[in-house]
Amino acid sequence: MHDYALHGLRPHSVVEPASAAELAETLRQAHERGLALVPWGGGTRQHVGRRPARYDLALATRRLNRIVAYHPEDLVVTAESGVTLETLQACLARHGQWLPWDPAHPERATIGGLLASGATGALRCGHTTLRDWTLGMRVALGDGRLVKSGSQVAKNVAGCDAHKLHIGAFGTLGVIAEATFKVAPLPEHFRSLIAVFTDPRLPVRAVDHLRAAPLQPVALVALNRPAADRIPALRTLLEGQPDHISVIARFAGTDLAVSRQVHEAERRCVSLGARIVAVPLKDDALLWHAISNTMAPTGDGSLLLRAGAPSSALGAVAGLLERVARRNGWVPAQIGIAPAGLIFSRWFTGLAGPEAVNQALLEARIELGVLGGYVVVEEAPPSLVGALDLWGPLPEGIDVMRALRARWDPAGILNPGRFVV
Amino acid sequence: MNRSQLIEELRHVVGPTGVVADPVALMTYDADGCVMDTGEPQVVVLPTSAEQVSAVVRLAARYGAPIVPRGAGTGLAGGATPIGGGIVVSTARMDRVLEIDARNGRVLCQPGVINWELSQLLKPYGYQFAPDPSSQKACTVGGNIANNAGGPHCLKYGITSSHVLGVQMVLPDGSIIWTGDGNPAPVGYDLTGVITGSEGTIGLVTAAWLRLTRLPEAVRVVLALFPDIAGASASVSQVIASGFLPAALEIMDRLAIKAVNDMYKLGLPEQAGAALLIEVDGVDDGLDELLADITAVCWRNGAIDVRPARTPAEQNQVWAARKNAFGAMGRLAPTYYLVDTVVPRTRLPYTMEQVGRISQEYRLPIANVFHAGDGNLHPIILFDRRDRSQNQRALEAATGVMHVSIEQGGVISGEHGIGVEKQDYMTLLFSTDDLAAMAGLHQSFDPYDLFNPGKVFPKGRGCGELAALRKAGVAWSELKTR
Ligand SMILES: Cc1cc2nc3c(=O)[nH]c(=O)nc-3n(C[C@H](O)[C@H](O)[C@H](O)COP(=O)(O)OP(=O)(O)OC[C@H]3O[C@@H](n4cnc5c(N)ncnc54)[C@H](O)[C@@H]3O)c2cc1C
Repeated sequence: MHDYALHGLRPHSVVEPASAAELAETLRQAHERGLALVPWGGGTRQHVGRRPARYDLALATRRLNRIVAYHPEDLVVTAESGVTLETLQACLARHGQWLPWDPAHPERATIGGLLASGATGALRCGHTTLRDWTLGMRVALGDGRLVKSGSQVAKNVAGCDAHKLHIGAFGTLGVIAEATFKVAPLPEHFRSLIAVFTDPRLPVRAVDHLRAAPLQPVALVALNRPAADRIPALRTLLEGQPDHISVIARFAGTDLAVSRQVHEAERRCVSLGARIVAVPLKDDALLWHAISNTMAPTGDGSLLLRAGAPSSALGAVAGLLERVARRNGWVPAQIGIAPAGLIFSRWFTGLAGPEAVNQALLEARIELGVLGGYVVVEEAPPSLVGALDLWGPLPEGIDVMRALRARWDPAGILNPGRFVV
Repeated sequence: MNRSQLIEELRHVVGPTGVVADPVALMTYDADGCVMDTGEPQVVVLPTSAEQVSAVVRLAARYGAPIVPRGAGTGLAGGATPIGGGIVVSTARMDRVLEIDARNGRVLCQPGVINWELSQLLKPYGYQFAPDPSSQKACTVGGNIANNAGGPHCLKYGITSSHVLGVQMVLPDGSIIWTGDGNPAPVGYDLTGVITGSEGTIGLVTAAWLRLTRLPEAVRVVLALFPDIAGASASVSQVIASGFLPAALEIMDRLAIKAVNDMYKLGLPEQAGAALLIEVDGVDDGLDELLADITAVCWRNGAIDVRPARTPAEQNQVWAARKNAFGAMGRLAPTYYLVDTVVPRTRLPYTMEQVGRISQEYRLPIANVFHAGDGNLHPIILFDRRDRSQNQRALEAATGVMHVSIEQGGVISGEHGIGVEKQDYMTLLFSTDDLAAMAGLHQSFDPYDLFNPGKVFPKGRGCGELAALRKAGVAWSELKTR
């Protein structure tokens, strides 16, 4: 089914451990023999990061696919890393619970891969990040030690939260064997509304108004026209609208609380001059699913940037990314997760060479620096991967990070070269 | 070490008023809130900036004196206690809130800012700093970060680590780094995540971007009274299992009620064997229904009364009683030992039964005031420290609670930390490999064990084991360079 090819490289072999112990044993042997490996979950986010410096083994987690323990009454679940997010959510939903986390392609993406690559979805307002829902992990380190940190209870300060380090580390510190999450009751009701603005200055204000008390959206995003057009469900809903930016808010909770908030949100947007498009209840989940999918790597040859900045600067960030792209003749499709201060900007750079793209990136980085933000490349066209500065400047704690990696992956076999560390 | 020379050099760095060297004055710093262990510092410094902290750390390295970071000293695990002497670095003079950035929902402050004062400052903006340890009127945000503090409202809002966006810290080599600037998902490993809860062993926090939490539109508080603690704990288990999310669920048992009833004019009846404090908050619509659902669970579990605290003044009164309950224990016994463990919420009723059994077995009264909604127990063992037998039994009873909690699938600390108090119990939870990996993490920050040495990691079965663990970390890295 898979050939586990990555940026034109192919592994010599594929290992599919069926238990945490087998996973650890695989790592122990790879460590001894100095074999470089790429942990592989659903493969939905392998486009993120640089080309591996070496690639001997693909370490597939698809047989690590058990829900290890689930105690609905305690709101805690433990699952192996190869479980897909959809499988996990389905299991939780049977007991009226969920993990408030909605990154792209849940039907294929595994929790291990999503954690390791720090994947995010639109649910970023009421629910902080997945890190805050992760209670513990079992991880096979780069030398084959199988270690745990954290716990299976809601609150714990015994030992350092080593598991947090594996979130967003792109598998460079160890391979996640299983993770324990606290989960939440599934809200009774979800309702969303779309506010369409033709004046590009207004969405920023709308976002502020939609977050002001007593409104508490669970998701709040803004999309420009090209981004909205990439989502069929939205394209239909927005048929015939002039050039626009749409702000989409989602509310969750009891019927009363949701109704009142949607009503109030509509009122606020209308008074700013928006046209309101109702989202039919039956389409709500599908719509958000599609929105999250636009933030994922596609393999379609486009360049996907992720920018982070203080949320008040988001309008300015969107503007500057748009300007830089257009200066080069590229039309960006942009979506901002407003309260989190994140923007995903997709550039269709066509035949542009690495110099032009690097130059554009540099300009974006300089301007973003002034606004207090950063930008990284989440996906690059295959022809450019090796030539672009994907991660930008090194973080301040790089020395400590390197020292840590040397201790947990002493032979440097985990995803070598792909991440900053 | 030449102490007077060190003091001289420290004075040069922080100015004469920033150094405490007088033996009597030093005694204030010989322990934190956990008085089971004490130690005398060589000197205490009170720097005012990260640069000064950095200079102090470099001096410490040169003199081979350990650094013991200290906030308000309210910790309950000996984290700020200079067990092996050294330089206590107090953040008392780094107490400024540097920037309230309400639009971006964040605030930048120095570590010595008092938790409660920060929330008072944020109120007019419609925000709060959500972690609210019962010690909040005294403890510092730096101490909160280092201990990953909890509090009653963590049930809904999460513990400190969910509220720290990035910190500036001084590393054991004296360098000053930012782990993030408050922006989401910065590139690199999550150093913010590991400094939180690191108990002063890997770096000294000199500034932090903290996340603001909106004050809720409406709040409702009720006290449900039960004949005994069994009904109260069963109610908590069922409320959680039913998927209701209150802002806080706190239990006080008969002894605790006795300690606070008069002082806070709660007027609770004699026959109340336990009080369950329930708070719900959020958008006004639907709150009464939520509260009704929760109190229905209480009635089903044998509640004898449900008393609403209607006005903000009444609500404050109830909360003051809850938050000051530890202090009020002085009315019941000369000394108390507060144990902090966690169990799965379904195991609460059984565990509380066991706590009762332990109290009988060791013939010491145990009061309970705790964050029941999180399954976070706080059995308070009442004893007289001057009586050696009682002293010994108190320790054994505490160990008993820890064993029961682990047996039930829980952990040995929910919020107070490991420090020196529980370091030898770490092996009950973690394997040698687990601990060696943590030691490796620790070593990558602090290879010479300069920051808060001799804490958190077990040393019980001889310091040898710890040394071996640490060395294990070193050996692996040496392997790399060879
Ligand atoms: C009556 C009472 C009630 C309490 N209730 C709660 C509660 O509900 N929830 C809870 O979680 N805790 C509670 N505690 C425990 C304690 O108050 C908390 O752990 C608090 O966070 C400690 O803050 P502090 O400023 O007093 O820190 P300290 O006690 O001074 O220090 C605590 C630890 O942090 C380190 N440290 C301090 N400042 C820094 C810094 N700037 N950088 C790096 N390390 C640093 C110290 O070395 C030490 O290891 C309670 C304590 C008391 C006495």
